Formats: sequence, C-alpha cells, structure tokens
Amino acid sequence: MIKCVVITHGNLGEELIRVSEKIVQKKQDIQCLRFDWVEDGSKIVHKLEAYLKTNRNNQVIILTDMFGGSPANICLKYIGSNVEVITGINLPGMLKYITHVDKQLDFKELVRLVKQGTIDGISVLGEYLGEKRK
Amino acid sequence: MIKQDVEIKNKLGLHARAAAKLSHLANKFNSNIFLIYNDDKVNAKSLLGILTLAASIGNSITILADGRDEEKAVKKIVELFDKKFDEEN
Repeated sequence: MIKCVVITHGNLGEELIRVSEKIVQKKQDIQCLRFDWVEDGSKIVHKLEAYLKTNRNNQVIILTDMFGGSPANICLKYIGSNVEVITGINLPGMLKYITHVDKQLDFKELVRLVKQGTIDGISVLGEYLGEKRK
Repeated sequence: MIKQDVEIKNKLGLHARAAAKLSHLANKFNSNIFLIYNDDKVNAKSLLGILTLAASIGNSITILADGRDEEKAVKKIVELFDKKFDEEN
C-alpha cells in the first residue's frame, strides 16, 4: 500500500490537504507534520521516524514544500526503494496524488505522476493563452 | 463512439470542484471519455486535465465517449452539466 506524509513550514501542509479534500470531497489517510519556526527539527524527525516505522511494510511518498528547506532536508536519509520525497508540492500535485493513489499504480509511477502534476500546475496565464491563440 | 455537445450552465464553469465531480463520475465508466473545447481535447477522467480547458458559463463542450458503456456515460455526464454540478438551485 502507498501512504503519504506532507511536511511543510507552518500550516501550509494542513491547508493543502484540507483544500484538496474539499475539492474532491473525499477524506484521505494523509499524515501531516508541520515544521514550526521555533523548533530545531528533532520533534518532527521523531514523528517521521515513528510514522515510517509503523509503515515499514508500506511505500511512503513524502511531500514537502521546498527543495533545500528544512522539511525536505530532514527526509534525505530516509529515501530508499520504499520512501521517496517530492519537493515544491502545490495544490495540483496534491490533487494528482489524491486522485491517483487508489489506482493501484506502481510506486515509482505514482511518484512520477505527482511530480509532473505539480510542475504542470505552474503556468504564466498570459503566455499560455498566447500559445493557444496562435 | 458517441459525440454530444453540452453547454456549461453553472456560474463558475469548469472550476476545481466541478472538475472533480466530473472526473469522479467519468472514472466510474469503462469507456474512454474525452472532453473537447476549442482545439483542446482532454481526458474526462483527469481532474487536472479538465481544468486546463478553462471553460466557463455559456461555453459548449463536446463529450466524446468510446466503449461498452458509452451511452450511459454520456447520459450521466450531460445530466451533471444540466444540474449545474449541484452548485446552484
């Protein structure tokens, strides 16, 4: 089974999950960990390790808000065949995960789709419309 | 293969929640289902694909379904458009 953890600065992750679930009108089993400004990261590492231990027989996608940010950096040592990290998650990426996690996809394929959904969600609308009008 | 035009009647057009309902419905059918608007053709089973149409109220969308349950699929999708995605009374 594929599971998901969202780790972000502040309550960004909670809101991403809440809004995504509101759009698709479906509750998801997604763990959310918030990196508060005052902490050194040890609490969140402890929680993440506990989650990964509980899910050692599952595959886990960790969605973080920014490449190079603390939420992503603390995940580096857990990356392996059953754990992958995607940085820069946004609403389209979350929606891609939520709408595809139940489709029995291969772990790497789901990771690829979520990454692509995240990237594809970024557009300069003027340019996009300009291309369509050509 | 069935092709049918349908008009968007809800005020917000094919926005996120409407697109989610539409893709959720389309995924219930075995048929391949596409939406065509202007020169764009997207998979009706893809929420993010539907959003790229940026279609709004008054626009006409073509539904294209191909498969063993194509008739039922088109009928149900047209119904969803006609009832304005349950967003308005």
